[in-house]
Amino acid sequence: MSKKKVTLKILLFLIASDFLETFSQFFFKKTAIPASGLDVKNIPDALIFLNTVFFSPYLWIAFLLVFLTFVLWSTILSKIDLSVAVPIASFSYILVPLVSIIFLHEKVSALDWTGIIFILIGVIFVSISAHKDGAATQ
Amino acid sequence: MKTNVLFIISLIVLAASFDTINQLLLKNSINSLGSNINSIKKVIVFIGKLLLIPQVWIGFFFCCLSLGIWLFVLSKADLNFAFCADSMHYIFIALASRFILKEKVGLWRWVGTASIIVGIILLTISNR
Repeated sequence: MSKKKVTLKILLFLIASDFLETFSQFFFKKTAIPASGLDVKNIPDALIFLNTVFFSPYLWIAFLLVFLTFVLWSTILSKIDLSVAVPIASFSYILVPLVSIIFLHEKVSALDWTGIIFILIGVIFVSISAHKDGAATQ
Repeated sequence: MKTNVLFIISLIVLAASFDTINQLLLKNSINSLGSNINSIKKVIVFIGKLLLIPQVWIGFFFCCLSLGIWLFVLSKADLNFAFCADSMHYIFIALASRFILKEKVGLWRWVGTASIIVGIILLTISNR
């Protein structure tokens, strides 16, 4: 069951969903930063942790972005196949480290980037082959 | 990073497993409903029926657990490391598709899975 080709509109949607996903993760991280000093060793600790993150406005921004990503993905997947969408969407494996460097001042070493490239290739293989294998069994 | 990287990886394994369980339960529930959806009204009916399935709520519970663990991971680890290591859910989904849903998983999918594993190992070595 092949759907239509990737149009410019769909490509823009995919890039938008990459950015939405990346920034939802960025806001999850912003949510977690104030809790970084907390040690969770028992149930009361866990409740303090949950209390800290639940009332962070960043968490709710992240939820909103996740919801928007979901809506955008539903639209994308109604137009093109998952096996075509995922490789383009896995651009976020590059985008998240870039955002981490620029906005969170994290360090990404050459070995990190090598690992990221392996993951990216793996994700692309997994999604493309899902398409081929599916076609082979039908 | 101050916290032991292997401890963080174990937590990501846990979060990704719970997420996979959620996906399996959701997939199972959706399969049981059929997929004849061609109008807004049918979408609403579909969602309504879905919410009546206990499995969906069990899945939601696992989803919340996964999110809680994920936030804890992010409170201890760098975002770029955690996000990339979280790609291991592709591995779990490949395994679950093969052994639980009995779907066919082809050679290239295993090659892709192996490449993800190599990538995560490199990141782990680099961040220890």
